[in-house]
Amino acid sequence: MLKLLTKITLVAGILIPLAASAQWSKSWVIEWNEAAHYFGGEQGVIDPGTDCPAGTNPELDWVEVLVKAGYTREEAEWLRNPANPTRSPVHGQNQMAFRGEGRANVYVNPTSYPDPGLTGVSGSIGEGIDLDGNDDTGFVSPNGEAGIDNTFYKTLGCWKTYRGPERLSSGALQFNDSMRNGSWTMVIVAEGQGNDPMNDDDILVGFYMSKDPMVKGGNGEISADYTYRIEPHAKYEGIFPARSVDGKITSTRPVEATLRNPGYTRDLELLEAQIKLQINEDGSLEGYVGGYRPWEPEYFGWVNARGPVIESLTWVELPAVYYALRRNADYSPEGANGEKTHISFALRVDALPAYVVEPDASILVTSVKSYKDMVPPADDSPRGLFSRIRIVDGLVIDPSAEYQAGPNAVILPQDR
Amino acid sequence: MSSRFDRRSMLKGMLGGAAVSLGVPLLDMFLNDNGTAYADGSGVPVRFGTYFWGLGLTDTPAGGTRWVPKKIGADYDVPPELQPFAALKNKVSVFSGFRAIPDSSPNLVHWSGHASILSGTAPKASSRFDAASFDTKVADAIGGATRFKSLDIDASVSRRPVSYSTRTGSTFASPDASALELYRRLFGEGFQDPNSDNWSPDPSIMLRQSVLSAVTDQRKALMKSVGREDQIKLDQYFSSVRDMENQLAIQLQRPEPREACVIVPEPGEPLKSASIEVVNENTKIMARLLAMGLACDQSRVFNFVHTAGTSETFIGGQSKIYHQITHDEPTDSALGYQPQTSKLAGLVMDGFGAFLKELDAVKEGDGTLLDNSLIMAFSDTGYAKIHSIENIPMFLAGGASGRHKAGQHIHEPGESVTRVSLTAMQMAGAPVGEFGTGSMRTTRVISDVMA
Repeated sequence: MLKLLTKITLVAGILIPLAASAQWSKSWVIEWNEAAHYFGGEQGVIDPGTDCPAGTNPELDWVEVLVKAGYTREEAEWLRNPANPTRSPVHGQNQMAFRGEGRANVYVNPTSYPDPGLTGVSGSIGEGIDLDGNDDTGFVSPNGEAGIDNTFYKTLGCWKTYRGPERLSSGALQFNDSMRNGSWTMVIVAEGQGNDPMNDDDILVGFYMSKDPMVKGGNGEISADYTYRIEPHAKYEGIFPARSVDGKITSTRPVEATLRNPGYTRDLELLEAQIKLQINEDGSLEGYVGGYRPWEPEYFGWVNARGPVIESLTWVELPAVYYALRRNADYSPEGANGEKTHISFALRVDALPAYVVEPDASILVTSVKSYKDMVPPADDSPRGLFSRIRIVDGLVIDPSAEYQAGPNAVILPQDR
Repeated sequence: MSSRFDRRSMLKGMLGGAAVSLGVPLLDMFLNDNGTAYADGSGVPVRFGTYFWGLGLTDTPAGGTRWVPKKIGADYDVPPELQPFAALKNKVSVFSGFRAIPDSSPNLVHWSGHASILSGTAPKASSRFDAASFDTKVADAIGGATRFKSLDIDASVSRRPVSYSTRTGSTFASPDASALELYRRLFGEGFQDPNSDNWSPDPSIMLRQSVLSAVTDQRKALMKSVGREDQIKLDQYFSSVRDMENQLAIQLQRPEPREACVIVPEPGEPLKSASIEVVNENTKIMARLLAMGLACDQSRVFNFVHTAGTSETFIGGQSKIYHQITHDEPTDSALGYQPQTSKLAGLVMDGFGAFLKELDAVKEGDGTLLDNSLIMAFSDTGYAKIHSIENIPMFLAGGASGRHKAGQHIHEPGESVTRVSLTAMQMAGAPVGEFGTGSMRTTRVISDVMA
């Protein structure tokens, strides 16, 4: 990848011409993105704050959880003992799954288990976008804007993984670190028909994948002004009609869009999707992409990240997440009376100025269009985060292991 | 006075119908006046080893650290997690800010970091490297004259033995995973006490060598009679035969007397627990055995694993393992770091401190075995909570027989970890001018630590 010093320069030895299209265009690379969760604490992650007055959901005593689910105390303590050879230091204790009614797997049958409860956000301040145009629903933004719809935050904002100051929650750190190390790249292109990018009534903003990893400078931060090729993707693309006022770009019409999600569920499918972005003086872009996302894939994203591991690491019982998302879902594609399969959500985005070129690197992109037709339909078969291991029902199964977890497993070693 | 003999001279003859070679002991006339180097100016042989521990050391998301010294250069301050080797800090250089750069490869958690350090390439898939680990290059350069080209040791008491040394990228060395195994390898069958007065070549070894030689004599004819694929297989086979021949030849030579070589008693049954207390005790015992193995010149290259990348260790009596704690423990808002994680990191460093102490306890000439060794210690990750491969802690310990200007803190944020690897390789004596691929390809050593 080469650094472009001017808009007309050499990339890989080829002179790149500018395409004549829009009156103006700008482009960026997303250097950070995370679920827009307002942090109401003063410091730390678990400490109380206006968002979560009792702090995050507390760490669980897993021995007690297992006893409550019907295991004897001796069995529960042995299951949680690090010296137990059935407890993998990497994949956790598979037997943790079998605590539903009849020892059903609670990860894939969460309703076999009574709702353990998950404390949500009780504060009134939230980040995101007013998706429904109703000032009376949702949060008030930190700047005083009413009607911010972000029920995902209300539901999961006190979960340790999602909570923390901007850029400091463990979930955001984990996935952005991965993105910034090359796991994926998304770019943004904006074009307008007016003369002033900061004030234009007719803008299109496109979100695309790029095959080029971001470049870090000596301080470990992402560097601006590098060049990225668009990678046509059958799924991850979003094109938003918008306008700008004093550099603030807002949607003029909601759309359907799917972006690459910084989480265990890779697809961020958004209905009624909108943007609210600000062009800063230094040329960077920040703000939100919001919409209604299906909540069930999000839940199973956590399950397929290995249920026992996620529960232990994030201090939550996964059935509690299932019940909370189902309970709070606030949108149905079938209308007001339809089943609420979606939940309002906002992604916080920080992007740096970058040059974006066509997939063949032949020309700088100056107009926003769809590239989906350039590639075959997306493969919708399940794709886990951990491609090297096989995860079944939230568990990593080692078929050669002497001990297999399950409803009828013998828990205590027979030679004790 | 000049002599027709030098330290490389061999006394040759026939024994029982077979040719034998008898090495010449390390005589005073081969050394300089101080007894610190050979008379021709070359140094006492350098021993090289890697030392790996899992889960890094403690950083914080806001940029704080529990292991990076504030002072750069010599006489660095010793942060809390480096305290276990504070007494030896003048023999340890600390490298901070270095990172693995995976380019288009994913960050394979608990894998990409040390795979990059060892092979110079961020692999495309877990469980394998995309190139050989660099310790094998060092072993090829300096390990051929000893009974074991390299030793692979795993002190982690893991469920499966752990080694990150590989020539192929797909097959890793089989380590000695208990003190008893290591003892029997070093001092069991085939051990030649370099200080014994009653040394004589083992006839059974001579016989085995002659058999192997006969196989070698016929290999050209066999190679001509088979196809390309079989030729590759035969070539691999004959390579292993040659390695065995080299080992046997060494056992037909009288070893050089080694003042520091003292055979230690056989250890007891191995301990069966991955608690940090047990792992550190295991580390100490195995380090003592290793030190004697090096002092007795059984090997000059080793790879030592304290704990695996996905470390299984835990504090005895607790239900959480270290690996889990790194991920689930929040940063304490008052302290600014993860206190339990930092405590465990310190305990893991206790193991490294004990390891170095064992090597430094063996006197060699005017210095110690540690002074004549170079140990490159490193982990798989920087900030373990998020599997970061930035700021991976790396150390070079030991004087490398005068080649290492030890006791410095080198801080190079954003620089590739391969620069440290290349520096280590060159100081250890491997003829390597560049290392790594893609963004991690480098020809730049860290000259500040090279004498």
